[in-house]
Amino acid sequence: MSPADALTQPALWPLSMIVFLPALVAAVLALPIIPKGREELIRWVALATTVVVFVLSLWMAWPTLFGAVGPAQFTIGEAGMQGVVKKPWIPAFNIDYLLGVDGISMPLVVLTTFLSVLACAASWPITKHVKAYHVLFLLLETGMLGVFVSLDFFLFYVFWEVMLLPMYFLIGIWGGPRREYAAIKFFLYTLFGSVLMLLAILMLYFTSDLRMLSPEQLVASHVVSPALDAASRADAVAAIAAAQSPIHTFNLLALAQLGQLPKSPFAAVSLWGMSLEIWAFLLLLIGFVIKVPVVPVHTWLPDAHVEAPTPISMILAGVLLKLGGYGILRICYPICPGAGLSLAWLVCGLGVVSMVYGAFAALAQKDFKRMVAYSSVSHMGYVMLGLGVWSAVAGNEFRWDAWAQGVNGAMFQMLAHGISSAGMFFMVGVLYDRVHHRNLEEFGGIFNRMPVYSGLAVAVFFAGLGLPGLCGFIGEVLVTLSSWNYSRTLAVISAFTVILTAAYILWAIQRVYLGAEYKGPHGDHLTPMTGRELAIATPLVFLAILFGVAPQLIFNYVTPSVNRQVETLADWTRDVGSKAAQPVAGGPPAADVTSR
Amino acid sequence: MDLASQLPQLLGLAWLLPLASFVLILFFGPRMGPHGRNAAWVATAAIVTSLVLSLVAFVSWLGVHPAVAAHHGGDHGAAHAGDHADAAGHDADHGSHAVQPPVAYSGDWYTLYEAGRLKLSIGWYIDSLTILMFVVVTFIATCIHVYASGYMHDELHEVTDHEVHLTDGSHLHRPGRFPRFFQALSLFCFSMMGILIAGNLAMVFIFWELVGICSWFLIGFYYERKSASNAANKAFLFNRVGDFGMLIGLMALWGALGTLHFADSQVPGPDGQPVSRPGLFSLVRPAETGHALRVPDGMVKFAAAEKVAKTAPGDVAGKVDAWRAEGFGKWLLFIAGVGIFCGCAGKSAQFPLFVWLPDAMEGPTPVSALVHSATMVAAGVYLVGRFFPVLTPDVLLVIAYIGAITLFIAATIALVANDIKRVLAYSTVSQLGYMMLALGVGGWVAGLFHLVTHAFFKSLLFLCSGSVIHACHTNDMRKMGGLAKVMPYTAGTMLVGCLAIIGAGIPFVIGLSGYYSKDSILAQALSFSQANPRHSILFLAVAGGAFLTAFYMFRLWFMTFAGTPRDHHVAEHAHESPQVMVMPLLVLAVLAVVAGWTLPGGFGIANLLEQSRPAGTTETVQGGFAFGQTLTVPAEYLSHEGTIHVTATMTAFATALGGVLLAAAMYLWRVISPAAIATIFRPVFIFLANRWYFDELYHALFVVPAHRLAAVASGIDQGLIDPFINGLAWTARQVAGIDAWIDRTLVDGLGHATASATWSAGLELKKLQTGSLRQYVMFIAAGTVALFVLASIVFRSSLAG
Amino acid sequence: MNIVVASAVPLLGLITEPVSVAHYLVVGAILFVSGVVCMAMKRNALGVLMGIELVLNGANVNFVAFASPYLQGEGSRSLGLDGQVIALFVILLAAAEAAVALAITLNFYNNHATVDVDRADDLKG
Repeated sequence: MSPADALTQPALWPLSMIVFLPALVAAVLALPIIPKGREELIRWVALATTVVVFVLSLWMAWPTLFGAVGPAQFTIGEAGMQGVVKKPWIPAFNIDYLLGVDGISMPLVVLTTFLSVLACAASWPITKHVKAYHVLFLLLETGMLGVFVSLDFFLFYVFWEVMLLPMYFLIGIWGGPRREYAAIKFFLYTLFGSVLMLLAILMLYFTSDLRMLSPEQLVASHVVSPALDAASRADAVAAIAAAQSPIHTFNLLALAQLGQLPKSPFAAVSLWGMSLEIWAFLLLLIGFVIKVPVVPVHTWLPDAHVEAPTPISMILAGVLLKLGGYGILRICYPICPGAGLSLAWLVCGLGVVSMVYGAFAALAQKDFKRMVAYSSVSHMGYVMLGLGVWSAVAGNEFRWDAWAQGVNGAMFQMLAHGISSAGMFFMVGVLYDRVHHRNLEEFGGIFNRMPVYSGLAVAVFFAGLGLPGLCGFIGEVLVTLSSWNYSRTLAVISAFTVILTAAYILWAIQRVYLGAEYKGPHGDHLTPMTGRELAIATPLVFLAILFGVAPQLIFNYVTPSVNRQVETLADWTRDVGSKAAQPVAGGPPAADVTSR
Repeated sequence: MDLASQLPQLLGLAWLLPLASFVLILFFGPRMGPHGRNAAWVATAAIVTSLVLSLVAFVSWLGVHPAVAAHHGGDHGAAHAGDHADAAGHDADHGSHAVQPPVAYSGDWYTLYEAGRLKLSIGWYIDSLTILMFVVVTFIATCIHVYASGYMHDELHEVTDHEVHLTDGSHLHRPGRFPRFFQALSLFCFSMMGILIAGNLAMVFIFWELVGICSWFLIGFYYERKSASNAANKAFLFNRVGDFGMLIGLMALWGALGTLHFADSQVPGPDGQPVSRPGLFSLVRPAETGHALRVPDGMVKFAAAEKVAKTAPGDVAGKVDAWRAEGFGKWLLFIAGVGIFCGCAGKSAQFPLFVWLPDAMEGPTPVSALVHSATMVAAGVYLVGRFFPVLTPDVLLVIAYIGAITLFIAATIALVANDIKRVLAYSTVSQLGYMMLALGVGGWVAGLFHLVTHAFFKSLLFLCSGSVIHACHTNDMRKMGGLAKVMPYTAGTMLVGCLAIIGAGIPFVIGLSGYYSKDSILAQALSFSQANPRHSILFLAVAGGAFLTAFYMFRLWFMTFAGTPRDHHVAEHAHESPQVMVMPLLVLAVLAVVAGWTLPGGFGIANLLEQSRPAGTTETVQGGFAFGQTLTVPAEYLSHEGTIHVTATMTAFATALGGVLLAAAMYLWRVISPAAIATIFRPVFIFLANRWYFDELYHALFVVPAHRLAAVASGIDQGLIDPFINGLAWTARQVAGIDAWIDRTLVDGLGHATASATWSAGLELKKLQTGSLRQYVMFIAAGTVALFVLASIVFRSSLAG
Repeated sequence: MNIVVASAVPLLGLITEPVSVAHYLVVGAILFVSGVVCMAMKRNALGVLMGIELVLNGANVNFVAFASPYLQGEGSRSLGLDGQVIALFVILLAAAEAAVALAITLNFYNNHATVDVDRADDLKG
């Protein structure tokens, strides 16, 4: 790396370190340096790594906390991509090592690093193959972070797959009795999705043509680095314009620019009666919703959660599910706005079905962890609904704010769910470590046996219930309120979910924590929380309260970026979409309840 | 100091102090003195300070806006505009008499979410109703904090819970939870005041949920008891059902109007100058219509979305009035009103969501007094009152009917209940029905007036019942009797409470607080019935309810305090409660008597409320709204005059007297045997004793189907999706099997066949290899000759050439 | 009649001709064929060796005959001794070969107490 890079790409090292430090340490750990029997050392090294990465990401995301505002740090309130890093990787296919963060990905990066610290601390009870476990764990962290920061579709895909494999082993080796089944199920589901995604990636790649973009768009999408001086920029732009054959690209920003052109190359190509845009959107959507997951492709989740060890459940629910929502927000909608407009009913419908179905299924569960897993399905349904509400329609004069509210709500819900679901899984894990069962019918009276634990657990479950003052509330309310502008029916159904959510969570609390005495097995092992467990649970509860009381802490990051994207798409709808897509098949239903 | 900046500071501080107390007790409660005894002091200090602050605010308000005697007439409402001196011009406006909106101060403290024109915030809306409710809530809360510090003393040491049987047959022994009680009480006070001060519906919803969860904590205070945790869950779930409706109402407003603020707010305009953004009240009742109800533009456009889409953007504004005339948006406003009322029905235990409230009596009695009678359950009524300007006449009719049904059902169940707290609980439901009905028939002041007086006498009644339970260790009235001798203070104050609730008084002269509020409800109902003869059943419900109330309240009093003890075991233990519990009773009894009085000079609660009467409701409103049928909502001042007032007062007096006399005949003088009546009307008795079978009905209608659906959802996963996925995997494995077979037989077979053919050919050729030298020479020779011959044949032509 | 005989038996015509390369070739051919027949017929290894000598010598005759100056083309730059030189090489090789072959035979005899080539089938496949 030349010194010039340090000036033009100040985030090169910080961002790369955030992503690759865990992998580096994993590689070092994998070497036979640490002798057998020194497992404690491995744990500490892994924990230290996650802490360092967390501090690094915090340093980047929250400059004022560290006093100095460096050029590599994130500017809160700015909508665009920041800290963009670009290095050619495979020039023959225009594949770049292209990283960057904006208000959408930055909070998710911090969430990931934060939960990694907690999950790593929660890994202490793991005694089987400690070294392999931590190596895989760190690799997983690299994969997750890489997905959030990569702006090159190919790189994105690589990280996506990197994440998959450690997860498979972490469930398959360190899981419960049916771990092989769960691991294979998880792997196949996700792999199926990512294969479809690969298909879509190639479709988009071979249809894209950078020559269609204006010089400003090329610079804005970092195809031509804005850090170059004007003359070199002009040269680079001229070189692209002068090319004889189409210049394909994997650059997500450039693909989004292409997709939003009045004459989008993706909408122009037709394939078996549908435009390529729709195909790509559908393929990507399937890939992402499997990860979210939505009904009916959700059944890997309960199995994976039930079998996975506690820290892996925390990561799985806290971070992995968010990748789906992130992908939809970052990739599906900006690149295929036309398909997003005509298929908004599908996204919203899937979301609402997941909300109701997940809540009902959670109500029926006997296994504590399975219930929490289904609650995740239900809660992630809000995310889908919020992302889907394409309410910038002619009827409301293409106003974007109701829609932005849904997307902001979905983003908030993702982060809040990251906190609350990780907390819920951890709380279940604490009990399981003691009594070695999760049967809801055999609990009771935990409140009197473990008061501090129960207090924290009830707080976390209330966050899941969407109680005001805790983090679950804001996202749910924003999403639900915004959905009315899209469809009255869906809004009513989504509002109905609040009853079910309260029902299954309160019922679970009643069966586990309330009551006079614990009647299940291993009652004498119900010891108070250890210091380590407290150190994990307290930050989660604290954040759940903090984000519930001061949602602006998150919205400061999220809103500018989301608003800009939604505003752009709303303008696109007004200028392009509404003309191209009529009549919209199954689009926003006409005022069905309130026509008169 | 300016009132506009002083009030939010005073009330905001009053609001936050209990939160501070909650946090303190949460972290340091167990360390506050022995067994956390001092937690009570912390909580009480906080609420007393809140009371003082509220009183200061009250006095400041009165200093600027004195509550003068209401002189019924056309210029009503505007007369109290106080410092709005420009009220002078009001009578010039369109002949309408009330064009000035009531005085209210509003603003925002804190933004939760903001994007575009949409903003969710924490703010205040303060008018005389807010301040009055603040005083009432903090006052009753103070009494109850004091009372509870005596009542809950059991929790200061190891507790033996006789209602919980462990598996080994013993009773549960557990450490006391004294601090936790006050911790939850403080959180409740904070949440309750949050509702009162809320400047927008989103904030109302937030604290709505928070009081719900406080109620969950307090009902489930004895969480070891299955019945308590069940009741807590039931309460929260029924509230959530109401909130479901409320959410729909919120969505209808938010989606179409983009604001949930009650009042207009100042926002930075495009040029940086603050501009006024209309709130809900001025959207629905804009000044240009003289504050008459009108469907807001946003709702019209929202409902007419298809037409908007077909109209050029510039022309939309011009067509809104035409669309409004066509009726677009009426349904949206109706849904918004009914939706918000659903939330109120859940919180205020209205039909069909009332069944949770009697079960909520599982909580400690001070909680029943504060949360489940005086304040939280009144929040629904409060919100209907606060939200009144947005409610259309047909929503009001819905509210009135729900109120009537509720008051009747609850009163009938109270007739036969034997649990002293349940009688009071059903009485609460019934009285809440009264308030709803009053609001529904246009009696804005009447309903809220009753809310205030009811808060005093019902908390008094509950605290008295708590005192009785404290003495007898039972809730069952059949085991009591003759307690007046041992508990004179309790008996006396409870008698005051009973008289207040039945509205006792000397007609047209003076009465207890209930006399005034209940009479005004009766009068307004009568006025409404006369204006709308087809709805005269509403008046009958009110009058009948008054009779039933008088009967069951005095049945309660006679059974408990009069006569001779029925259970000597109970009677021997009975004693008057300690002073710390009796003092609040006396204080509340005084207020139950005087709360309805109008002091010389015109100060009275009704007049104070009159200051906040929503604009546009002072005069009789004609015309239906969404349903299209005509409806007249008579102005409230009409009910204070002439024959209506006389008739109503006489009816109230007669029904109350009748009820008391009947109760006395059955339970005091015993001229009529209750048992005989129960036998004669056995089916009715059983029906009532089983609470109209509502619990069973809901269980069959909702709980069972919900669990079925849950099982179906779970079953689909395990029986449909997973088998399908597993089937896919199985199919893949089968295909793989076929593939393997093809590999083994066809592909590998070809290879093997080639190999074996080569092998056998080699074996055959080997035989030529005889090893005989002579033979080889012969082969060479013959081979050479043969080659030549072959060459000569093949290359004949070239050889020839 | 000669013509008839000559036409009937092509080689007979040579008798009347003056000695030329063709006659040498006939002698070579007779030697060669005798050698081949000897190799094929004799069971004694020494006989076979003799047959080999005959074959080689038949070839030698041919070489020498083809080396005749009459067959040299105009302007040839050869010394005209090519055939003779090759024949000398062949003789040399024949000597070497005979030495090796006799050694093998002797060995064979030592092992099998016979020189019958039909008995030497150890390399049979």
